[in-house]
Amino acid sequence: MLRICLLLLVWPTFAWSATPRILPEKVTLTGPRASQRLLVVAQDGADIVADRTSQATFSSSAPSVVAVEAGGTLRAVGDGSAVITARLGEQAATIAVQVVGTREPFAWSFRNHVTPVLTRAACNSGACHGALAGKGGLKLSLRGYDVDSDHFVLTRQALGRRIDREAPEKSLLLLKPTMTVAHGGGQKLDIDSLEYQVIADWIAEGTPGPRAEDPRLTRLEVFPRSARLQPRDSLQLLVRAWYSDGRSEDVTRWAKFVSSEELVANVNLEGRVSVVGHGEAGVSVLFGNLVASATITSPYSTKIDPKRFADAPRHNFIDELVLKKLERLGLPPSPGCSDAEFIRRVYLDTAGILPTPEETRAFLADRTADKRAKLIDRLLERPEFVDYWAYKWSDLLLITTRKLPQSAVWAFYQHVRQSVADNKPWNRFAEELLTASGGNLQNGAANYFVLHKDITELTEATAVTFLGMSLTCARCHNHPLERWTQDQYWQMANLFGRVGLKSGDRGAVLVQSQPTGEAIHPRLGTPLPPAPLDGKPLPLDSPLDRRRYLADWLTAPDNPYFAKALVNRVWRNYLGRGLVEAEDDLRETNPPTNAELFDALARDFIKHGYDVKHLIRTILNSATYQRSSSPVPGNEADDRFFSRYRMRRLSAEVLLDAYSQVTGVPTPFTHLVTNARDSETPYGGFPLGTRALQLPDSLVASRFLDAFGRPERANPCSCERTEDASVGQALHLNNGKTLNDKLRDKNSIVSKWLVEKRSDEEAIQRLYLSALCREPTAKERATFLKLMQAAEAEGSRREALEDLVWAVLTSREFIFNK
Amino acid sequence: MLRLDAAASKPLCDGHTRRDFLHAGALSLLGLTLPDFLRAGGESSDSDVNCIMLFLLGGPSHLDTWDPKPDAPAEVRGPFQSVATRVPGIRITEIFPRLAGHMDKVSLVRSVYHTATAVHDTGHQMMQTGRLFSGGVEHPHLGCTLGYLKGRRGEIPAHVLIPRPMGRTGGNMPHGQTAGYLGKSHDPFVLNADPSAKDFKVPDLLPPDYIGAARARRRQSMRAAVEGTLEAFERNAGSKQLDDNFELAYRLMSSRQAREAFDLSREPQKVRERYGLTRFGQSCLLARRLIERGVRFVTVNMFETVFDEITWDIHGSRPFTDIAEMSRLVAPDFDLAFSALLEDLHQRGLLSNTMVTAMGEFGRTPKINPAGGRDHHPGVWTILMGGGPIRGGQVVGESDALGYIPKTRPVTPAEVAASLFHGLGLDLEKELPGPQGRPIPLVDYGVKPIRELF
Repeated sequence: MLRICLLLLVWPTFAWSATPRILPEKVTLTGPRASQRLLVVAQDGADIVADRTSQATFSSSAPSVVAVEAGGTLRAVGDGSAVITARLGEQAATIAVQVVGTREPFAWSFRNHVTPVLTRAACNSGACHGALAGKGGLKLSLRGYDVDSDHFVLTRQALGRRIDREAPEKSLLLLKPTMTVAHGGGQKLDIDSLEYQVIADWIAEGTPGPRAEDPRLTRLEVFPRSARLQPRDSLQLLVRAWYSDGRSEDVTRWAKFVSSEELVANVNLEGRVSVVGHGEAGVSVLFGNLVASATITSPYSTKIDPKRFADAPRHNFIDELVLKKLERLGLPPSPGCSDAEFIRRVYLDTAGILPTPEETRAFLADRTADKRAKLIDRLLERPEFVDYWAYKWSDLLLITTRKLPQSAVWAFYQHVRQSVADNKPWNRFAEELLTASGGNLQNGAANYFVLHKDITELTEATAVTFLGMSLTCARCHNHPLERWTQDQYWQMANLFGRVGLKSGDRGAVLVQSQPTGEAIHPRLGTPLPPAPLDGKPLPLDSPLDRRRYLADWLTAPDNPYFAKALVNRVWRNYLGRGLVEAEDDLRETNPPTNAELFDALARDFIKHGYDVKHLIRTILNSATYQRSSSPVPGNEADDRFFSRYRMRRLSAEVLLDAYSQVTGVPTPFTHLVTNARDSETPYGGFPLGTRALQLPDSLVASRFLDAFGRPERANPCSCERTEDASVGQALHLNNGKTLNDKLRDKNSIVSKWLVEKRSDEEAIQRLYLSALCREPTAKERATFLKLMQAAEAEGSRREALEDLVWAVLTSREFIFNK
Repeated sequence: MLRLDAAASKPLCDGHTRRDFLHAGALSLLGLTLPDFLRAGGESSDSDVNCIMLFLLGGPSHLDTWDPKPDAPAEVRGPFQSVATRVPGIRITEIFPRLAGHMDKVSLVRSVYHTATAVHDTGHQMMQTGRLFSGGVEHPHLGCTLGYLKGRRGEIPAHVLIPRPMGRTGGNMPHGQTAGYLGKSHDPFVLNADPSAKDFKVPDLLPPDYIGAARARRRQSMRAAVEGTLEAFERNAGSKQLDDNFELAYRLMSSRQAREAFDLSREPQKVRERYGLTRFGQSCLLARRLIERGVRFVTVNMFETVFDEITWDIHGSRPFTDIAEMSRLVAPDFDLAFSALLEDLHQRGLLSNTMVTAMGEFGRTPKINPAGGRDHHPGVWTILMGGGPIRGGQVVGESDALGYIPKTRPVTPAEVAASLFHGLGLDLEKELPGPQGRPIPLVDYGVKPIRELF
């Protein structure tokens, strides 16, 4: 009772504070069976803020043209035009509706109606008849990608017993899914549903098949495209399909809906969104082979003073777009980080090293306004920057003696390293790799084709590396989670159909393009014209170098994937989370957390000639990168919109190098692992002082690097690197040799302090500056001095100093970049 | 006194001996609190049922193993004969001769199916957590849920995963092998070593000679003195985790119970050989040792990936194996180890309070493909469940004549999870704190255990 009273009190204020609006705003109904659902939404400024459809009353100015049902569904009655009015209390909204073609003959189309019905009922899903082997003797193409074959299977196969034209209701195609006769997949259709009617009518019409002149699906529209809601709100989505003959249809009931963030908003089978938390969710709508999406925003707070966003620093376009998103979500930005935090952060993220105490002191003492920008410029020119990114790209390109002989690993690594040193534009880097020819020891890039010997490996690795997508599923069948078909996969694979490998001198391999050769589609048994994914196919007899054709498609400025794949990797390196996560899982159903920013970064990258260093510089100079990692009230829950710097553990290699740097004891890399983890053989190729980030190979033996998650370089997936903290790591830091040996070494910082007769106070101060890039606080200083005195009373001073260094080097502040 | 051996102890510079450190129940020295199971509300007792989950990564072919179809056409039946077992009426194929003698100890559920996408990862999620993941929500592994609810016994982790976690299996979806929304502190302790390796030991479990108890304690207090900017660290899950891991590491380092549990060298050679001197065999033996010494849940992954090893994933074409190779290279290891585990648990009186289950993520397509293999088929498959309160020697459910779909008593992965929870003595309606505090019951409301098993 109380609730009803409250509702009466509250509801009218809502209704009047926002303007009602009908969606879609323009409707043309084509044909005698045409219908369209309507939504009545409340709009506040540019935002849709509520679904009021169930409270609205509808009327049609011309019921002989359009009838409107109580829930807001329009049905074509006769040709002409009408105005539809929706009333909400005192307010009203109208739209104009055209009706055409009601006297034209009508038949459901196999391509555009029957197949969507089967897809919606999941008959052709991967778990049912869409499986590679079909189910129960019936095999349909996965989600209806092959309508010709499906039509044949349904009407002709099994002696045509699936269809009974005389008595459609006796067709197996209807008896099974309604469970009138036993069906392994259970009940999928109701006898009194529209879906049943579509199939029954189609059978009665004589099961007309797909025709070449059928209109094709060209575009999907979602209503509304975005909405700003609150937890407990709900909103219906509508989906309209556009066809090549200019006609549109309401396909809401046959579309599939998926939410990217069920903790923010979930969506039911019918397309009704329910908001359950704060943040942003993308709802993907799948129909036919197209995907569209709606963005549901549920602000964390609506009470943040706009001045906080207006006053936040903007160094470049990144900040503009991040703040725009933060304001929309009601997430206040954290303030900027301190200079001490910045210098440690930017060294570790950019060069993988700590600043020396001298560098830290000089930077902190510098009073010039642009000292951060200057520091960034200096860092980008350091050799350690080259180490860092050469390592990163070596991970991605799988440079390892697991796959290549020692000499080839070095040649490939040198090629990558030189490319980073030259700041080679990313498009040229890709192009050189994909079109590489010649001996793999002279032209290191050619090793790309030596290590991926197989066409399928080449295809899949290229997709992950340069497009940030996984195509593996499509090798054997249409991708179950994505729109790529098996045909597209094998068309792409055939771009590598003419790569030839020949043995050269002394174990070298010669890579060359050959005039012949095809990748055979495994099911068709024939090659398909080579084509890069959704790019234009090249005729099979074209004399063009297919790899060059792929490289040209990839690096064309309008390629929608190539630049973004790189931008997302670089962004993740600096901000700790990709705009899309995982960093190599770019697909339409996995939306970025800030699409506008993602687009802008990709555009800027292309405009600047695919200059990776420019991209890095832009990111590092942004106020977004330079924010504190400490939350402010209101942004504690944010883990993806960049309202503060995202703290994270140092990577295996960076942490190991930092231990070497602070203790003054380099890590010896003396063995290579052979036979997948089993045995180690001595190797003298890495002089003492080689840092982990300078290793060209992932099989250099190191218990530390393994425990902290170094990638194996068996597969280009970013999932190979683990960033989690584990008990094994804690055990290794406590009991393992890596850190303990460094502390006990006779050349360690501890030995140096003893020789130089440093006081405890001096040791503490030096350690803090070199390890944490700051002075100890008064409290820390006092605590440590007391602990040191107690320790020295108990045993040797050396051990006490070792323990002091151990404690700082295993602290959270050291192991994390904040 | 908890002394393990009487070897002379060597005094160290700090006046303590290393053995002191190992023996002293060093927790009190390190200033740690009582074991967590007290915190968990005293629900724990030593008679609690435990569980060993053998995950047969790749997805064994039901038709070639535990659901033979001798009357089916040759392209479905496959190459193997069906044989009688110790239990009249239950027949399995000839590739598991030893298991046939122990069929009284386990039951077969021949009608498990799922309807999600037929890729490995979805099955891993559902079989290990009872649920399919969607919209970014990761559900906890059954063993993590058990550990969360019951806490650990003594100093040994509640849930141990051996030998290594699942790696790549084609998709890049999570496999359901973590604690998900329960938080990383409830993740399984991952062994990350091969128990069949010559010098097998848990990496870095023991402190080096030069770090005695006093030094360890000092290092601890010093480590605690580095303040950092506390709020940022406390807010960050990863950095909190680092400290939780240090605490767990101290427990393990100083626990005789843990050290002994992982020490396979204490097993007689004959026992080791009975399990098979293979990675899987020694993992099963280690699982028994761990259960014997207080671990509640052990997950054994028979393989890490379907790519670089010969597994149950018998597509036939390269890089996968075919049916014949599976029977030569995979089945015998399983037969030896699994029969040994059942026999050993039984002889030691552990089977009555230890459930044992062996399961894959799906079955294989009934019709043999042109490469002589079978492909993914979640339409129906067989899993094995026994021990604890489960009655062995039964068959629950059946597949149809060709092994396409369940014919009777279809069983979902959620019902398998419900059965394991039920067997572990947990209340199925108990709610876990889901993401953002949303309560999530152990299994969805209405999902029931497989009653026939109990």
